[in-house]
Amino acid sequence: MEKVCLIGAGSTKYGKLEDSIIDIALQASVDAIESAGIEPKEIGAGYISNVFGIADKQVHLGPVIMSNLGIPEVPSLSIESACGSGSVSFREAYANVAAGFYDAVLATGVEKVTHTGTEWTTTYFSYCSDFFYEGGAGASFPGLFASMARAYLAEFKATEEDLAMVAVKNHDNGFLNPKAHLRKKITIDDVMKSAVVASPLKLYDCCPFSDGASAVIICSEKFAKAHTKNYVEVIGSGRGGSPAALQGRDHITTIPSTRIAAQAAYKMAGVTPKDIDFAEVHDCFTIAELVDTEDLGFFEKGKAVQAVREGRTRLNGDISINPSGGLKSKGHPIGATGIGQVAEVFDQLTGKAGERTVKNAKIGLTHNFGATGASCAVHIFKSV
Amino acid sequence: MPYIYSKVYKLLTKEEFANNAKLGKVLTRKCTKCGHLHLVTTYYCQNCGNKGFENTVIDGKGYIVTYTIITVPPDGYEEYVPYAWVVMKLDESELRISGFMADIKSPAELPLGTKAKITGYDQRGIIIEKQ
Repeated sequence: MEKVCLIGAGSTKYGKLEDSIIDIALQASVDAIESAGIEPKEIGAGYISNVFGIADKQVHLGPVIMSNLGIPEVPSLSIESACGSGSVSFREAYANVAAGFYDAVLATGVEKVTHTGTEWTTTYFSYCSDFFYEGGAGASFPGLFASMARAYLAEFKATEEDLAMVAVKNHDNGFLNPKAHLRKKITIDDVMKSAVVASPLKLYDCCPFSDGASAVIICSEKFAKAHTKNYVEVIGSGRGGSPAALQGRDHITTIPSTRIAAQAAYKMAGVTPKDIDFAEVHDCFTIAELVDTEDLGFFEKGKAVQAVREGRTRLNGDISINPSGGLKSKGHPIGATGIGQVAEVFDQLTGKAGERTVKNAKIGLTHNFGATGASCAVHIFKSV
Repeated sequence: MPYIYSKVYKLLTKEEFANNAKLGKVLTRKCTKCGHLHLVTTYYCQNCGNKGFENTVIDGKGYIVTYTIITVPPDGYEEYVPYAWVVMKLDESELRISGFMADIKSPAELPLGTKAKITGYDQRGIIIEKQ
C-alpha cells in the first residue's frame, strides 16, 4: 500500500447559508485545491458525501461538481452513510489512493437543509434510523440519543448538568472558530433552561441542523512531497458497524462500531489512545461525546463524566476533544461533517488553527458515525 | 398488506405481526439450526449464519430498559405529543424491542424497570403499554 497524505483542506462557514448546494460544495472544493497548491487537472477522482441533496433539488452531485471545476472527464461518486457520510467517503478516497489507483483525489462533503425547516429535517433525519422499529414508532434522532442518555445517567450516576458541561466546553472552543455555526459562549444554566426536545435532552444538548461544505485533497506521499513540505500523513484508518437499531445492542451506553473502527485504526497506526493529542469526535448530542470518548479508549467506561467535570477534555487539557467546537457548536451539515473533521485536523497539524490551536500537537484522530453509530469510521493523522 | 421489508423472500407480513401484537404476543424467528431468536426482519442467523427460521410466538411482556419522552415529533406524530419511545427487554428471551408508548408526560410516570407489554401495531408503529 502507498503511504497516504493530506495536502490541502477547505471549508465554508457552517450555518444557515444562502448559496445552493452546488455553490457551497464548489467553494469548499476550490479552497482545498488552492490550499494544496495543485491544479484541478491533477485530481484523479472525486468522492462526494451528501445525504439530502434532494432537499436542494440536486442529486448526482459528483459530475456537477467536477464539471464546474473544469474537469468533467474525472470520475466521481456520491456516498451516503447518514451523518457518517463524510468519514466513510474519506475512507474510500483513502483506500483508492493507498491501492495506487490515483495519485491525488478530492473528497468533498456537503449538506444544505436549513431552508426546509425543523419539521422536514426532524422527519427526514428519522429515516436514517432503523425505521420499522425507531422512526416508524415516533422516535426522532434526539429521542434515540436521549434514550442512550437516560440509560447512561442511570448506569453511571451522572446528571443532566454533566451533559450540559460538554455543551459549554464545545461552545467555548467553537467561539474561537470563525467558521462555527453557533459561535457563542453558553453556561450550564443556559443549557438547563433550554426547551426539552426529547427528555432528558434539551435544545442546547443538541447540535444544530447546519448547511455547509468541507473538502480535502488526499494523495500519495510521492505526490505530497512533490508539491509541499506542509502536509499531514494518514497513519490509521478503521471502519466498523453496529446493530442498526438500539434494541439490537447488548449495552445501550456503548457504540460497537466505534470500538471496532478505533481498534482497527490504532492497530494500523501502531499507536494507543494515550498517544492521541486531540480528537474531533461525533458529538451530535452531548451524551454522544461521553460515549465516544469511552469507546475510543480515552477513558474507561463510565469515567468520561469525571474527565469532563475536571476539565481534562478542554482545549489544551489532557486531551483536547473537539477543538473545532464539534458538531455541537461548529455545526453539523451531515454530509460534510466527517470531511470537516479531517479539515480541522489538517489545519491543527499544519499550524492553521489560529486561536484554537492545540499546543505541540503531533497526532490527531477523527471519529464520525452514521445514525446512532450504526456505521462508523475512525482515522488517525500525524504531522510530518 | 405489504410484507415487512421484502417481497423477494417471504418474511412475515405486518398483518401477522399486528395480529399477534394485539394478543400481547411477539412473532419472532427462531433459527432452525442453533435456536437463536431474532426479531421478524432478519434473513440470516446472527449467531450461526443459517438461513432457515421457523416462526415462534413469544409473550410480549417485559420491562423498560430505557426511553425518551418526545416533545418535538417527526411528521405524523404531532397529535400524540408528549409520548414516549421505549426500549423493552422481553421476559421470555434475550430480545429487546422498541416501540411507541402513549400519554407519558414526565419521567416520574415511567421509572426504568417498569413492567410493560406489547399491545398492538398500527400507524404509530409497535405499541407498548405499561402492565
